[in-house]
Amino acid sequence: MCQTLCPEACIHTTEEEFVEPDYTFCKGCGICAEECPGEAIEMKQEEK
Amino acid sequence: MADKALELFDSGHRACGGCGEALAARLVMKGAGKDTIVVAATGCMEVFSTPYPETAWKVPWIHSLFENASAVASGVEAALKKQGRTEKVVIMAGDGATFDIGMLCISGAFERGHDFAYICYDNEAYMNTGIQRSGATPYDASTTTSPAGSCSSGNRRPKKDMPQIIAAHGAPYVATASIAYPADLIQKVEKAINTKGPCYVQVHVPCCTGWGFEGNQTIAIAKLAIETGLWVNYEMVDGKVTKVKKVMKKPVEEYLKTQKRFRHLFKPKRQDAEIAAIQAIADKNFEKYGIEIKLKKE
Amino acid sequence: MMHLTEGSLAIAEAVKMCRPQVIAAYPITPQTHIVEALAEMVANCELDADYITVESEFSALSACLGASAAGSRTYSATTSQGLALMFEVCFNVAGMRLPVVMTIANRAMGAPLSIWNDQQDSISLRDSGWLQFYAEDNQEATDLHYIAYRVAEDLSILLPAMVCFDGFILSHTYEPIDVLTQADIDRYLPKFEPKERLDSADPMSFGMYATPEYYHEYRYLIDKAVKDATAVIRKAGSEFNDLFKRDYSALVEGYRLEDAETAIIAMGSICGTIKDAIDEMRNDGKKVGLLKIRVFRPFPEEDLKKALAHVRRIAVLDKNISLGAKGAAALEVRDALYGSGIPVTGFVIGLGGRDVRKKDIAAIFELAKKGGGDQFYGLKKELI
Repeated sequence: MCQTLCPEACIHTTEEEFVEPDYTFCKGCGICAEECPGEAIEMKQEEK
Repeated sequence: MADKALELFDSGHRACGGCGEALAARLVMKGAGKDTIVVAATGCMEVFSTPYPETAWKVPWIHSLFENASAVASGVEAALKKQGRTEKVVIMAGDGATFDIGMLCISGAFERGHDFAYICYDNEAYMNTGIQRSGATPYDASTTTSPAGSCSSGNRRPKKDMPQIIAAHGAPYVATASIAYPADLIQKVEKAINTKGPCYVQVHVPCCTGWGFEGNQTIAIAKLAIETGLWVNYEMVDGKVTKVKKVMKKPVEEYLKTQKRFRHLFKPKRQDAEIAAIQAIADKNFEKYGIEIKLKKE
Repeated sequence: MMHLTEGSLAIAEAVKMCRPQVIAAYPITPQTHIVEALAEMVANCELDADYITVESEFSALSACLGASAAGSRTYSATTSQGLALMFEVCFNVAGMRLPVVMTIANRAMGAPLSIWNDQQDSISLRDSGWLQFYAEDNQEATDLHYIAYRVAEDLSILLPAMVCFDGFILSHTYEPIDVLTQADIDRYLPKFEPKERLDSADPMSFGMYATPEYYHEYRYLIDKAVKDATAVIRKAGSEFNDLFKRDYSALVEGYRLEDAETAIIAMGSICGTIKDAIDEMRNDGKKVGLLKIRVFRPFPEEDLKKALAHVRRIAVLDKNISLGAKGAAALEVRDALYGSGIPVTGFVIGLGGRDVRKKDIAAIFELAKKGGGDQFYGLKKELI
């Protein structure tokens, strides 16, 4: 779901079949967290 | 990263975080495939995806002017025909380029019956230039050129029924879609591309910056638009509505409350008459398209 | 092979032999005979092109832009109001370095509405990056199309080109034309093979936006290409001469100019009248000659300077006026000759199709001797 709905196409499937964002391109919009049916994603502020 | 190869609209574009249009482009390209030539109009998408010397497009792509994508596409299609090539032509334009300034070229291209798919990304205003009113702006929406004020409740006119206008040109396949239902959108794009002749898909793409909501609400708001009947997902084949998306009806207020562009309907004072007028628009859609799921009473 | 034919029809034949794959055309007087003739050729399978009957000139050039970007040789024709409607697209086509060739049947700009000839329309697009050729007669108008495609599609140039010929005066007149054969043109004009085109085998993005970091240099490169076209025109014109014995290698052409004291400069069909007038004046012992400008963009500054170095005075005839300033050719000729000390007087003449006669040329010769600054020639006092 998150992979499909990411406007940046930056969520990828890892070898272990987990999903992982590419932080180079993630803009932190939070759609993935909002839409995940399993509430598996949490948005965190980037550390300074 | 295996998935990346399939992304024909790639990361690195400059869209706002949570941009509905960027997501739509990604999904449209999943339906289109690599044997596609994209003809783009000026607008948010064109600007955020092609800042020279970078491009997000992994298919051939051309942008000419704001209003002539349909005419440019007509020329591309003709050239491909003469050269015996198989690429499909897909036009991508916003609502401003489609409903307003592009009408001349659109009418001609659809009337001539060229073989292409026209995808309109409808975020209901001229977003790239700073959120001005277009023919697609819904009734009472506040934009910079139709602002809510002490003697105005925002945009005075209802949304232009562009799909009907396109259907009246004899387009074999016309559909509306939304990023709220990505699989449906991709299917409709595939149909539009694979149906011979000029086809049209109008995609609802909520704009967090222009409509005034947090970037993570884009999909939720797209869903509410459909559930309140202010956006109807349907298909038309040869001018007749063949399929609609049915919903459990929600009052328009649930949708209007989520966006700053409608905030003037609630603050400083609730404008019941205007909210009722918008509800009437939604009710008409429910009736016209028969989209209400009514639960049987025991 | 000599044929007595209408200018428009001769051009249609020439275009057919250039083998365009896509034609996008919208009718407008006085270009209609060209696009009608081409439509008939397509309908009879004499021309294997996709003919798009667009809904406006704006769309005509937009369609040509798309077809050219996709790698096809394209063609359109227009004039006056139609060309003005294409204004935005003209800059786009040149900016994207697409070698579209377009015939302009020169006609006055409204308002007031006029269907008759002057050169305001194409002159008003001299900033656009399009090459501009002006034909004196229908033979030139016809031949210049082959030259235009050759030069436009040269991979070192890749610019669009306008072939301008005077509406009605040339478009609707019958002249004996040497019509070349398809085999001739196939020898002269190779297949259009762009380095870059819209192609899924090699995806590229065309027409992106350029920030201030890049735009300036991009425009410089277009300007350079227009100027580099001078050498390519010379070569193409000279090779045309080798094959067909008509020399188009010069961007300007003198007539009885070598020993002239007064030079008259002009573009287009008016040159024919001027040549006749010069012959008469020469019989009267007047040392006058013509310098015809056949290529206006790139502006042939060096050629002009060389050809005019020896003259005592110059009269420039403009079938156009930059309202509030002067005629375009007069301004540019004067700029080219800056520092030479040769007085240049500009005459605005023949606007909106007003006839230019030999006696007008003779009158201008006298007015040029008098001096008196740039002026509208032959104003009817009773109307102003």
